[in-house]
Amino acid sequence: MSTTTTDSATTAPVFSVEGLWKVFGPKADSVPADPELAALPPAELRARTGCTAAVQDVSFDVRKGEVFVVMGLSGSGKSTLVRCLTRLIEPTAGTIVIDGEDVRAMDKSRLRELRRHRAAMVFQHFGLLPHRTVLDNVAYGLEIQGMGKAERRERARKVVEKVGLEGMEQRRPGQLSGGQQQRVGLARALAVDPEVLLFDEPFSALDPLIRRDMQEEVVRMHREEGRTMVFITHDLSEALKLGDRIALMRDGRVVQLGTPEEIVGSPADDYVREFVRDVPREQVMTVRTAMRAGDCEGPEHPGAIAADAVVAEAIKVVSRSRKPACVVEDGRCLGVVDHERLLDVVAGTELRKEAV
Amino acid sequence: MATVTAPAPRIALPGLLRHRAVHKLLLLAVAAAILVPLANARWASGSWPSALTVDLTEPLTRTSDWIIDNRDTHPLFLYFFGHVSNAVVLSVRAVYLVLLAVGWAGVTAFAGLVAWRVAGVKLALGTAAAFLACGLLGMWIPTMQTLALMVVAVLASVVVGALLGLAAGLSDRMDRILRPILDTMQVMPAYAYLLPMVLVFGNGVPAAVLATLVYAAPPMARLTSLGLRGADKEVLEAVESLGSTARQRLLTARIPLARKELLLGLNQTIMMALSMAVIASVIGAGGLGDRVYQALGSVDVGAALAAGIPIVLLAVVLDRVTGAAGDGTEGSGRAGWAYALLAAVAVAVAGRLLGRLDWPDAWTLDIAEPVNRAVGWMTDHLYSGVPVVGGTAEWAGHFTTWVLDPVRDGLQGLPWWSVLLIVAALAWLIGTWQTALTAVLAMAAIGVLGVWQPSLDTLSQVLAAVAVTLVLGFAIGIAAARSDRVERMLRPVLDVFQTMPQFVYLIPVVALFGVGRAPAVAAAVVYALPAVVRITAQGLRQVDQASLESARSLGATSGQQIRQVQLPLARPALLLAVNQGVVLVLAVVIIGGLVGGGALGYDVVFGLAQGDLATGLVAGAAIVCLGLMLDRVTQPTERRTKKGA
Amino acid sequence: MRLRTTAVVGSLLLLTVTGCGAADMTKQASPFANAGAKTVTLSTQSWVGAQANVAVAQYLLEHQLGYRVDTVQIDEVPAWDALGQGRVDAILEDWGHPEEEQRYVQDKKTITRGGDLGVTGHIGWYVPTYFAKQHPDVTNWKNLDKYASQMRTPESGAKGQLMDGSPSYVTNDKALVKNLKLDYQVVFAGSEAAQITQMQQFAKEKKPFLTYWYTPQWLFKKVPMTEVKLPAYKEGCDADPEKVACAYPHTPLQKYLNTDFARSGGEAAAFLKKFKWTTEDQDEVSLMIADQKLSPEEAAKKWVDSHASTWKAWLS
Repeated sequence: MSTTTTDSATTAPVFSVEGLWKVFGPKADSVPADPELAALPPAELRARTGCTAAVQDVSFDVRKGEVFVVMGLSGSGKSTLVRCLTRLIEPTAGTIVIDGEDVRAMDKSRLRELRRHRAAMVFQHFGLLPHRTVLDNVAYGLEIQGMGKAERRERARKVVEKVGLEGMEQRRPGQLSGGQQQRVGLARALAVDPEVLLFDEPFSALDPLIRRDMQEEVVRMHREEGRTMVFITHDLSEALKLGDRIALMRDGRVVQLGTPEEIVGSPADDYVREFVRDVPREQVMTVRTAMRAGDCEGPEHPGAIAADAVVAEAIKVVSRSRKPACVVEDGRCLGVVDHERLLDVVAGTELRKEAV
Repeated sequence: MATVTAPAPRIALPGLLRHRAVHKLLLLAVAAAILVPLANARWASGSWPSALTVDLTEPLTRTSDWIIDNRDTHPLFLYFFGHVSNAVVLSVRAVYLVLLAVGWAGVTAFAGLVAWRVAGVKLALGTAAAFLACGLLGMWIPTMQTLALMVVAVLASVVVGALLGLAAGLSDRMDRILRPILDTMQVMPAYAYLLPMVLVFGNGVPAAVLATLVYAAPPMARLTSLGLRGADKEVLEAVESLGSTARQRLLTARIPLARKELLLGLNQTIMMALSMAVIASVIGAGGLGDRVYQALGSVDVGAALAAGIPIVLLAVVLDRVTGAAGDGTEGSGRAGWAYALLAAVAVAVAGRLLGRLDWPDAWTLDIAEPVNRAVGWMTDHLYSGVPVVGGTAEWAGHFTTWVLDPVRDGLQGLPWWSVLLIVAALAWLIGTWQTALTAVLAMAAIGVLGVWQPSLDTLSQVLAAVAVTLVLGFAIGIAAARSDRVERMLRPVLDVFQTMPQFVYLIPVVALFGVGRAPAVAAAVVYALPAVVRITAQGLRQVDQASLESARSLGATSGQQIRQVQLPLARPALLLAVNQGVVLVLAVVIIGGLVGGGALGYDVVFGLAQGDLATGLVAGAAIVCLGLMLDRVTQPTERRTKKGA
Repeated sequence: MRLRTTAVVGSLLLLTVTGCGAADMTKQASPFANAGAKTVTLSTQSWVGAQANVAVAQYLLEHQLGYRVDTVQIDEVPAWDALGQGRVDAILEDWGHPEEEQRYVQDKKTITRGGDLGVTGHIGWYVPTYFAKQHPDVTNWKNLDKYASQMRTPESGAKGQLMDGSPSYVTNDKALVKNLKLDYQVVFAGSEAAQITQMQQFAKEKKPFLTYWYTPQWLFKKVPMTEVKLPAYKEGCDADPEKVACAYPHTPLQKYLNTDFARSGGEAAAFLKKFKWTTEDQDEVSLMIADQKLSPEEAAKKWVDSHASTWKAWLS
């Protein structure tokens, strides 16, 4: 429904994950293969086999240029999942395809190639080398690739500037604040100019204010460069803020996959519903969901609202004009929203599905 | 009675038990109920049954004779040990000649400047002063000999240790193989290494250097492995995520990340090498240790001290400087190093041109006489007849009669199987069934070696010494933890006692306590006390401040704070102190042999002195077994990661 | 095990470096020897008499012949081994080691006899003279049991204490006590230093004690002692160490030189072969070292200054 959905239909996915499993423990291989075991809930599986299934039968596509968020509480398997993508953790079963190439079939050097050029990762606790300066940390990925000193420093310097750390090139990670350290981590990932950026809860170790700065930095960067990102988080508001689409994980499985609006607007089960209960819905739901069929009264649409605008904006308009507002897209009238519909969204009452 | 529970399956038990202590004891009781009557029926004797001993005297004597007869003809010696020995001699000689050529001014300047670059001005002055003091005491040449031996031994230990550590750090299998070996070597008394070396290389510097190598390399290996394994997982993951090869990971991340541990390893290796270089004077290492040892012969405490002080100074300086290198971030200036080197060379050349290579004889200070007078006065006045408390001789007598004798007779009176049972119970209560098994096997090995009685004698001395050490150590440690002033005052004292060669205080100990087991215990207490005090004080000080604050906010008196908060919370540290106390006490058992402690210590001394390697090796092996057993019995399940204080 | 790995690695390295030649370690000298000057390495044993020999020899070698002298303290038996290997050039005082003499002098010929030291050694049991004067009959072994209760210490328990010293010394005392059926317990002081210290403490308190001791020994000057007569020594009565029941012999002390050194040691070797003095001479130097706490060098100097006629002969 949303723009991303329509775009993606035309482009091939960057990452395509199909039936992915990661099981820790003795004879891990046998678990995904056995349908009976595969269906067990984690606690029972552990009791019977001693195995822990961190990721169970997960499938999704990451489309080019989108921010794909994997969200879940701790222990839900999301960090394991993102590590499986570049085989930092070896998956137990399933397929991972990047740009049409089977990741699990890659040999060592091919895999190194993938890590060096196509997917770079940003870590929760930054993972910086304490004995190197900021500049050398940023240039580290390039050094690994075998690039000469002068060239890699030159490139690193540019990236350092881009993440706003000018003047700190010669400091060591220990002398930086958490936010600055994560900027270094981000710069290190950016320096190799990867196709996909993987974030593993990058901001959860930061103070709330700095976290917001960093989130905005990511949004800005994404807007400017349009790089594909896979973003792991346990923070729902972060997920809603950054994600084009969100995969919500619980106990190693994806319980719902959809746009923020879909997750908030139509939770797949009680777990998700409970999860999104406190979300300020007017900030997430779009007018498109809230509108009802109706006419805009004439070709002109004064005070019209875009279909992608969030409900909060529509409330402003409607309460100012004290009458239903017209919803338009590409200059075409789609329907109207009124007082009642908007209140329904805010209150979370089930929306009557009407054909538009 | 106990047999009712006997059907419990043996193998599955350890993991499953909930109330572990009770179950373990019950299980042991069951095992005992079955095994003891059997054993007793077959070998009914209080002491270890002679049917179960293996006499190694014959083969060991034959081996030793064969080695002496073939040392200059057999290819193994000509083409292998000969080269090893030759390499050691050549390298020690090379270093020694360089040190002599640089001269005292050059060496002092070089040491001072290195200390300055690594650790700052204060330590640089201290280092230079320490070297000058060595000269001032008339010990320049022996100091250089010890230093030459140390340099070679430390370099070799670091290389060997780092390679082993690298292997253990990178490969889990190597780690599984090496870890128990290194752990065991950690608790072996230094003397145990001497005899095998003497057997192969004969008395002299090669044997001394190799014994030092074997003694000093394990901490380096342990810490290298620890550093490699302890590296921040996420950093390594980040490095891997960027597509690094295994070699790149090792060189650019793992080794730099382990810098702190590597330097700590270097520090420990140096300290252990120094203490071994002194001990190895018994087998002809020469240098300072030899001077101490020679002074013993003329019962000259003063002369022994004059040679002991340079050892202490060297130890303190080396410890502080390498310690500072571990703490600090690496210095920025290569230029600084260049200047330092240049200055040192200039001083050395100047010294050469002035013809002042040897320490001038006129510049020496004789401390031997005043020290001897002081020691004489002290022993005269403390030995006996002190009003009210009685003299030290009486104490020693009472201690021997009322503590050592009953403990020894008690231990020796116990049936052998009950000793094994007690060991098993203690080790199992504190650790796992593996520790219990190791402890029992070690104890049984003592019996098999045929030195059951002397070993129990030694054990009784160790137990008594540990008890005294712990009482004193905890008391002093608590005092040091409570008052900064006490701690500041104690620090140099502890440093001195920890690094002073034990030979130095052998005579005062005999003068105070007479000959026998009492002075052996006293020497052991003196040696083990510093570490126990240190670990105790450190443990108490590191107790979570929040808990202490909350106790204080509830109005706890300082006594209550110690009893109810600090001591319980510092329990791991106190347990470590017990373990270290035991290991260290055992390490001086051989010193005990030199003052009449008898038992195993005497056997080792006898073996060394008479070249009777059979006696010496068997007793040495028994000491190692005792050490293993005591270590397992006192070591909580979570293995400690570093050695001592 | 680790030793072996180290060794294998080391050996491979060494073999490449040295080109697979043989290396006889028995021919390797001390790394500290010969540093800067022509050097002689002397073995000095732990007792002071031996130190006195070495001190005087060292002083003369350094001041009259211009050698640099290294001294190494090694116990007696290992010293033979070191001498055979040439790590030590000479032993100046040996109390008789027939087994080693057979091996090194007769069989391997790596050690050469250096002649008499001129001093006669004797081992025996001693009581302090102040006690012997009060109880003259104590000097016969048959009466020792009478005094056992006075010789008791905490270490010897209910029996009397017979104190033995360093484990490196020749002793039959355990067998003697057993075979003579004495009510005594042998207590090993473990080192001569400990033994002397204990004897001095006893003497200060005028306490009775029975000890293994030997002459010449400087301590007699400090703590006068009287020998206890044991059953007389006859040739061969100490052949079986288990059945010994007789006194210790009187031994003329010997010098031994490393064979190579004896052959090519020049003036130093010649000097050491001629070195010969009396019990009194040795005691004089010993006493200066042990009692007056002079350094061996100072003691040697004092003696040398006043006994020119004696040592001049050694240099000719």
